[in-house]
Amino acid sequence: MLRTSLRSVRALGSRPVATAAGRQWQAAVVTRRVAVLGQRSYADDKKPVAISDKAKPAALPASETLTAPSTPPPPPPQDATVIDSTIPPEQAPLTPPAPGTPTPPPTAPKTTLPPPPPPPVQPRKKGFFRRLRNYVLTLSLLGALAFGGGVWYSRVNDNFHDFFTEYVPFGEQAVLYLEEMDFRKRFPNVANRVTGRQPASDAQVKIPAQSGASWRVADSGEPASRQSSAVRKAATATKDAAKDAAGAAEAAVKPKDEPASVVGAKKETAALPKVEGKEPAQTADPQKPVPVPAAASDAPSNPGPAAALSAAAAEPANPGEKPFKAPEVDEPSRWPPASPIDPLAVNDAAEPVVQDLVRMLNDIITVVNADGANEKYGATIGKAKNELNKVGQKIKDMKKAVEEDAAKQVRARVDDFDKAANDLVSKVESAMAHQEAQWRHEFEEEMKRMQHGYDEKVKLIQERERQLNEEKCNNRLLEQAIEMQRQFAQEVKKRVEEERDARLGKLNELSSAVSELEKLTTGWNDVVDTNLRTQQLHVAVDAVRASLEDSQHPRPFIKELVALKEIASDDPVVDAAIASINPSAYQRGISTPAELIDRFRRVATEVRKASLLPEDAGVASHASSYVLSKLLFKKQGLAAGDDVESILTRTQTYLEEGDLDNAAREMNGLSGWAKTLARDWLDEVRKVLEVQQALDVIQTEARLQSLRVE
Amino acid sequence: MPETSIPPPPTASPVARPVSEALLNEKWDRCISNLLIKSSLGLGFGVVFSVLLFKRRAWPAFVGVGFGAGRAYEECNYSLKQAAKDIKKQA
Repeated sequence: MLRTSLRSVRALGSRPVATAAGRQWQAAVVTRRVAVLGQRSYADDKKPVAISDKAKPAALPASETLTAPSTPPPPPPQDATVIDSTIPPEQAPLTPPAPGTPTPPPTAPKTTLPPPPPPPVQPRKKGFFRRLRNYVLTLSLLGALAFGGGVWYSRVNDNFHDFFTEYVPFGEQAVLYLEEMDFRKRFPNVANRVTGRQPASDAQVKIPAQSGASWRVADSGEPASRQSSAVRKAATATKDAAKDAAGAAEAAVKPKDEPASVVGAKKETAALPKVEGKEPAQTADPQKPVPVPAAASDAPSNPGPAAALSAAAAEPANPGEKPFKAPEVDEPSRWPPASPIDPLAVNDAAEPVVQDLVRMLNDIITVVNADGANEKYGATIGKAKNELNKVGQKIKDMKKAVEEDAAKQVRARVDDFDKAANDLVSKVESAMAHQEAQWRHEFEEEMKRMQHGYDEKVKLIQERERQLNEEKCNNRLLEQAIEMQRQFAQEVKKRVEEERDARLGKLNELSSAVSELEKLTTGWNDVVDTNLRTQQLHVAVDAVRASLEDSQHPRPFIKELVALKEIASDDPVVDAAIASINPSAYQRGISTPAELIDRFRRVATEVRKASLLPEDAGVASHASSYVLSKLLFKKQGLAAGDDVESILTRTQTYLEEGDLDNAAREMNGLSGWAKTLARDWLDEVRKVLEVQQALDVIQTEARLQSLRVE
Repeated sequence: MPETSIPPPPTASPVARPVSEALLNEKWDRCISNLLIKSSLGLGFGVVFSVLLFKRRAWPAFVGVGFGAGRAYEECNYSLKQAAKDIKKQA
């Protein structure tokens, strides 16, 4: 017992720390392993025989060394027990419980086996190797853990992320990979697109070999500045596309300190060498193409025209430079002093003659530059330049002298003119004053004449107005007289009419009284008429009644009804009553009560025969009903009950009393075959009842009318 | 006038259709006549068969009568039930 517990502990302890920590988190696993180890003690004991024979024990005791001091050496009894137990060898392989780490477990079980034979010899070596391996293992494991933790923490803390990616090898890749994985997991669709694009953009970012700063730029300041300025202009041209090619070229040239007039000349001269300069440009291809594409690539957003503009702007500037640069790029060390001859810049080039000369000289210079014979002609052309400058100066001096003379002459002339003008002005003023006095005199005379004429006119007008007023007053008087006369006539007429109206009013009263009397008489006539009509109505109703009651047989009473309707003369009540009668009733007539009773007897016998029929009766039930109905007792009077027999007896008593209405109601309460058999009789009774009701209504209406008249 | 108007109604009404109280009687009449005709027909057939085929035995005649009567009964039954159904429908 003691041994087994010790061994189990040993087995647990001997296992590498890392694996043990990794695998044996769950207590369940540990407990299971302990149980297994407890079993193992027997298997272990037996094994030494089987496995030690195979000469493996040398490597195994490593674990044993750790626990060796405590383990007792009892080999002989173990062997005996093993033999006795005879445990199947299959149990041995099963016992190692470590699932993930196969290497240590096999060692552990084996270690337990061999301890007896070679415990003291091998422990040292094994201990060293084992310690080394354990050390390496733990180190690597700790390192991996630390790395993993770092990666994880770098995702949490930004400062740590920076530190980690910068100082830990492979840290950046790991973090990036993890982030990418996370990103992909979050946006599976987006991740593909983004990752697909990124490599492309990386490829685009390549920087051409000749771009950027180089020794060349530093060497030749002027051309480089010119070119750069042209390029810059091209970039600005994209922003304000209004500038045309000429403007751009001017702008490109302006940075140089040349007067505006010379700029035009320069342009023309530049245009000329362009044709010739093409050849040097082609010869100097290696330099030329490079800057232009570079410029184009520097401003990738340039549209087509802008690029063309930049090229056009660069070209006029270039032909002058190419000769300078060509030798420099090819052999920079050989001809450093071979600077090209500068195009001429004249300070006072206002004169067209000088301009022409300058242009010519510049042409020559460009030609010389193009030929590359700068050195040969440099001195002579320098002289020519000086001469040109002198010529310009001389022309300027001459101009100055001539201008001074001209100014003097002009001043003298201006003085003369001033004097003459003053004389003229004084003369004109005296003449004007004389004329003015004369005009004033004439004007006053004319005014007097006009005043006179107007005064006369005013007098005339006044007289006429006075006359008009007098006439108007006369007219008004006349009108007043006429009005007075008219008023008098009207008053007289009014008096007369008032008198007449009094008498005529009395006459009107008389006539109205007469008419009222007439109305009264006519009203009495109406009363008499209506009385007559009601009487006639009564008579007609009585006639109808009589015709119904008299007859022994049913006969039509249309004529009586028509007469009644005519007498009623559109009385709505009478009309409605007549309309309620079934047409067949007055066309064929209605049967008398005696007839009805007679027919009822016949119907009653038939109904009695069918009184006992069940629902859905066949021949047999009909026959039985026929036979059995004969056996029924007859009732008398108003028998109570809903059966056919009692209904029939009740109807009969009602009929005998003359109560057609109730009789019809009773018969209507029948059902089935009985009702079908009594249908015709019921129709007959209904017709009679309808006619009776209509006649009653008409009679009451007639009575009402006769009452209304009173 | 009354004399002239009397004749038409009695003549008109019986011709138009049977009176309602006579409905059942008419059906019975028809059934009985049907019974008579069919049973006599069956009897005739039965007699003929008995003479021709069955050596003048009596039973074929009875069988023929039975067939005829049965058929008449069935028809009568059917007509009565149909009438009952019509009445129910009307109600």
